[in-house]
Amino acid sequence: MYDFSFHRPADLASAEGYLKAAEAKLLAGGQTLIPTMKQRLAAPKHLVDLSNVAGLTGIERKGRNLVIGAMTRHAEVAGSGVVNKAIPALGLLAEGIGDPAVRNRGTIGGSLANNDPSADYPAACLALDATIITNKREIGADEFFTGLFETALGADEIVTRVSFPVPIKAAYLKFPNPASRYALVGVFVAKDTDGVRVAVTGAGESGVFRVPAMERALSKKFSAKAVEGIKIDPSTLISDIHGSAAYRAHLVGVLARRAVETIAKTK
Amino acid sequence: MALEMSGEYVLPRDRKAVYVALNDAEMLRKCIPGCEELTKASDNEFAAVVKMTIGPVSARFKGKVRLVDLDPPNGYRIEGEGEGGVAGFAQGGAKVELTEVPEGTRLTYNAEANVGGKIAQLGQRLLAGSAKKIADKFFANFTAELS
Repeated sequence: MYDFSFHRPADLASAEGYLKAAEAKLLAGGQTLIPTMKQRLAAPKHLVDLSNVAGLTGIERKGRNLVIGAMTRHAEVAGSGVVNKAIPALGLLAEGIGDPAVRNRGTIGGSLANNDPSADYPAACLALDATIITNKREIGADEFFTGLFETALGADEIVTRVSFPVPIKAAYLKFPNPASRYALVGVFVAKDTDGVRVAVTGAGESGVFRVPAMERALSKKFSAKAVEGIKIDPSTLISDIHGSAAYRAHLVGVLARRAVETIAKTK
Repeated sequence: MALEMSGEYVLPRDRKAVYVALNDAEMLRKCIPGCEELTKASDNEFAAVVKMTIGPVSARFKGKVRLVDLDPPNGYRIEGEGEGGVAGFAQGGAKVELTEVPEGTRLTYNAEANVGGKIAQLGQRLLAGSAKKIADKFFANFTAELS
């Protein structure tokens, strides 16, 4: 048994204060951290629960953007009329995360800050060119995800909101691990006036990544045929008992084509 | 669970300087990612405390680092093992070879690592990527220190 202090601040400034202590961890939904602590693979001295901090929840349409509070649960995103009107692909993505327990406890901010290489939300943020808003600054998705479980977040930085520019159309296709429903591979394709962005999760050893060759081809001609023959280099992809790197590379192509077809079919 | 990694770096210094740096405790402490302590136990042996953080997992490994097969200035083998309490254990080694190139010295390494216990249950998905990242970070730090 080990001891830790549990804090439940009511505002951001106090939460930031608690984070200054050595070995403090934020608790945003606890769907990764709590199981890790139960396994004794993490033993933070201070746990700072964000669930009572004011102003971190809620979903709203602000002009061209869909803005989601960091502590918004996956189930709320999945069931939101605002989300499903603005970016239906994002609602479907949230609906496909984990199981009902995970969706009712896990949060978008927690998922992004953890940056698990197989998590779903990082793909949406990267493909939709979202802006991650923290207590200190705004970070573009391209700068936010810096590697395996690594982000641009500083030690006392807290994600407060995520702002998604609403695209013309988007689709997320994933091949879920049947046990965990983590993405074995997931591909998010977003089509906007200034081009197409393609983001892949579940496959990269350094976490979520974009596929510039597919983006160029799709920006020129938006059809499933355009991405045919674009090979993904398996040398930097994950290989495990669920699938080899070559299999994952192949899946990226298959899912990208299906995502493009899904978009082509939607009005 | 066994992991294998290899890599290659070109350093802007001559072989002798690189070899000396590779034997320097302070240099190794600065370059090993998460290294909190590295003290000389004998000429070729060090005691180390390394904090490993992979996403939510954070474990402190206490162990030994040994330098064997010393062949100055051509290279050596660096070996180590550590106990991370409930997290498990890790052991591994890397054969480091130095060759002269016009830009300075080319360093190549072939490393293998064995990880057991709970940390290995994380699965290869995370361990292979993490081990590679740690090795890359070490040599990137080392390159930066020498440049």
